[in-house]
Amino acid sequence: MDNSIVKLRGYKDGLHLIVNPKISLSEIELAIQELFAKMNQPLTGTSIQIDMRPPVLNPEDFKHLETHLTETYNLVVNGVNIFEESGESPILAAPATHSIATDLSQGQNIDLDNAQVVRQTIRSGQTTRCLSGSVIIYGDVNPGGEVISAGDIVVLGALRGTAHAGANGGLTSVIVAMELVPLQLQIGSYVNRPPVGQKPRGYPEIARVGAEDIIIVEEFIKF
Amino acid sequence: MGKVIVITSGKGGVGKTTSTANIGTALAMIGKTVAIIDADVGLRNLDVVMGLESRVVFTSMDVIDKRCELEKALVKDRRVEDLMLLAASQRNRKDDIKPEQMKDICERLKEDYEYVLVDSPAGIEQGFHNATAGADEAIIITTPDVSAIRDADRIIGLLQNQGIDFINLILNRLSPTLVRKGNMISKNDVLDILNIDLLGIVPEDTGVIASTNRGVPLVHNDGSPGADAYMRIARRITGQNIPIPEMREDSFFSQIVNWFSRKN
Ligand SMILES: Nc1ncnc2c1ncn2[C@@H]1O[C@H](COP(=O)(O)OP(=O)(O)OP(=O)(O)O)[C@@H](O)[C@H]1O
Ligand SMILES: [Mg+2]
Repeated sequence: MDNSIVKLRGYKDGLHLIVNPKISLSEIELAIQELFAKMNQPLTGTSIQIDMRPPVLNPEDFKHLETHLTETYNLVVNGVNIFEESGESPILAAPATHSIATDLSQGQNIDLDNAQVVRQTIRSGQTTRCLSGSVIIYGDVNPGGEVISAGDIVVLGALRGTAHAGANGGLTSVIVAMELVPLQLQIGSYVNRPPVGQKPRGYPEIARVGAEDIIIVEEFIKF
Repeated sequence: MGKVIVITSGKGGVGKTTSTANIGTALAMIGKTVAIIDADVGLRNLDVVMGLESRVVFTSMDVIDKRCELEKALVKDRRVEDLMLLAASQRNRKDDIKPEQMKDICERLKEDYEYVLVDSPAGIEQGFHNATAGADEAIIITTPDVSAIRDADRIIGLLQNQGIDFINLILNRLSPTLVRKGNMISKNDVLDILNIDLLGIVPEDTGVIASTNRGVPLVHNDGSPGADAYMRIARRITGQNIPIPEMREDSFFSQIVNWFSRKN
């Protein structure tokens, strides 16, 4: 497990902010600020759930954090999940009723008319294809799983499988993931294989075709 | 009305048959009525692991071909009350049985038994489809290695496509010593990828092989780590809230280092 203070992950039922409660409230808020700063604007108005393992913040700090998320970042906190130490992973029954597509309209590079939202993890042997536009995945793309998109690919989780953006030949397409540890990336006709055994870096990354006609990967600050 | 739980994995040899035998026995030991079905047609071995090999007269194939009644084909366990085995035919092949026929057997058994456990064969072919046809729920078995996890992930996708949404995970053969040395994938890494609920962790236990060879499921041998793990799993299946003990995955040394670095 990595020990970053806050992490943003897409699960079956939407976005979760995973908070490491052993740290003080001010450190948490600072970490959130840094995390969101890297993402530019795309989360405004989105609803999220907060995940925490014991020891949990005291109710006062909790209220404070919630207000902070609502007021400073315009997020809707629609649930709090406390996990037992046993480490069950947070998959939750109730599907959240929000869409991130509208929020992303503030980013310019996404072809919104035809963007497709996939609310699940793409598992080994599964392929998600969107040949009309971009695709946003609320979940992970696991090793052996594959996403093919005519436009961009945004994974609000870990991209551990294969992603092919610009499948119709578009070299301006990009691939963004909260954790970018893919088996293989393709943009248009360019292929990139990261070094074997690469560990997640702990921040979102973006892959695009660089000036040298190779796929470059860098920290995702904004489009 | 009982429920049908298929025990499956994708990859072979990860502990499906061992788990079916032990969970079935453990459920019966805590007073449940249980039927276990060997769906590994052609390679049957659940009867061997249960020590019931010599008592098998009829198999599921005989039931399907109407050579005998379902009740008559069930073999009673030698040691525990209310535990029945439906063996698989050794002579036939997996595609001699159709999913609907397996489903029918499951539906009939769950009228009389609280738990019907189906031991699935490895793979994603016909045998897998037969084993899952009548299932209400699934237990995925994986070991902490990359290929078993990859196959488990594939199986989860297939089960979800089939409309089986209640899927739990058993992580088998975890060795705390190896994880500590960084030579084994940890529990959290496995859960991070598979993203389903953890039903239990069964440690690497040399008692498993001995018990397989003797035909006595490990849970009869209380005190062994594997037996304890399977007993807890059975209790969780019945709805009891039993925490999963944390296997210490960090070395004592690194915990101390963490503790110091937090203080400073
Ligand atoms: N926790 C454990 N500790 C030690 N050995 C184990 C453990 N679990 C299973 N084994 C051993 O692994 C081998 C395979 O187990 P088992 O037959 O249960 O797997 P399976 O998934 O049913 O295999 P198949 O796919 O061939 O049906 C056996 O020799 C068994 O004794
Ligand atoms: Mg087996």
